Amino acid sequence: MSQLFSHNNKSINIANSFNFSASDDEAKILAWLSPLEPWVRHRDIGAERVDGIGAWLLETREFRRWHDASREDESNPATLFCDGNPGVGKSYIM
Amino acid sequence: MLLLIGCDNSSLVIDKLCDEAGEGDTAVMCFYFDFASRNDQSPVNMLGSLLRQFVSGLGGIPEAVVQDFQKQRKGIGGRGLQVSGILKMFQAIAATKRTFICVDALDECVPEHRKVILESLRQILQWSPNTRLFMTGRPQVRSEVEKTLDGAVAFRPIQTEDGVVRYLCDKLKNDTTPEAMSSALKAEIMKTILEMNSETYVEASAKDKLPWVGG
Repeated sequence: MSQLFSHNNKSINIANSFNFSASDDEAKILAWLSPLEPWVRHRDIGAERVDGIGAWLLETREFRRWHDASREDESNPATLFCDGNPGVGKSYIM
Repeated sequence: MLLLIGCDNSSLVIDKLCDEAGEGDTAVMCFYFDFASRNDQSPVNMLGSLLRQFVSGLGGIPEAVVQDFQKQRKGIGGRGLQVSGILKMFQAIAATKRTFICVDALDECVPEHRKVILESLRQILQWSPNTRLFMTGRPQVRSEVEKTLDGAVAFRPIQTEDGVVRYLCDKLKNDTTPEAMSSALKAEIMKTILEMNSETYVEASAKDKLPWVGG
């Protein structure tokens, strides 16, 4: 099992997860890799987002091709870039 | 199962990816650039953060990472971590896994850092064909993205009537002084704002295709 974020348990469970899985050495190694904590910003954005807005994106052909692409299928894009001016909601789409 | 983040209502793309990841062999990582934190968001810290998220989900630290950590302990001063070292660790552990990297506000990254980060992401994509990259940013960084990441598809967010209605309903529902607003006023607000924006809405029938902006 290796996903980093899970939506499944519907709860915020950051600190407990680290305590649960990381020994002292593991915690030191993780801190060595980076002191930054982007999940804090992720949680803040989630708290402000209105559910369902932007769902159109998930239905587009390009998103599905990007998302479904396999190793063998080189014609599908590896990168999607959401281009927009400040305030259009880019962060909420991500 | 290791859970770094789980919440009822987080973000659109990351939510979808996490929902699907379930118990499977998929990793989802995110990073948010921010002007206010630009001094801390160096290439080493940003790429290290992605690697940290990846490693955190494995249920144990891979040997390649442990070895590098032990090596730097013998050095003098600093973290001893470099972009090239992070990329080597990525290369050693990420190639076989289905991986999604989501990066927000690329324009808020220092230009010199952005160049290094985009080039590093290009290398990760090259080594790991099962990796997918989703990024957001202002229009001025699009050409840089397209130049570095071959085949990148750029699109602009669209406005739908349904989205505006949802947003307005949420704001009206959470208004801090609801007693100051009658039902008639609420209805008037909805009607006026929807009419103001009506020309910018995209029809449902046209929503199955991304609004391209070159590429």
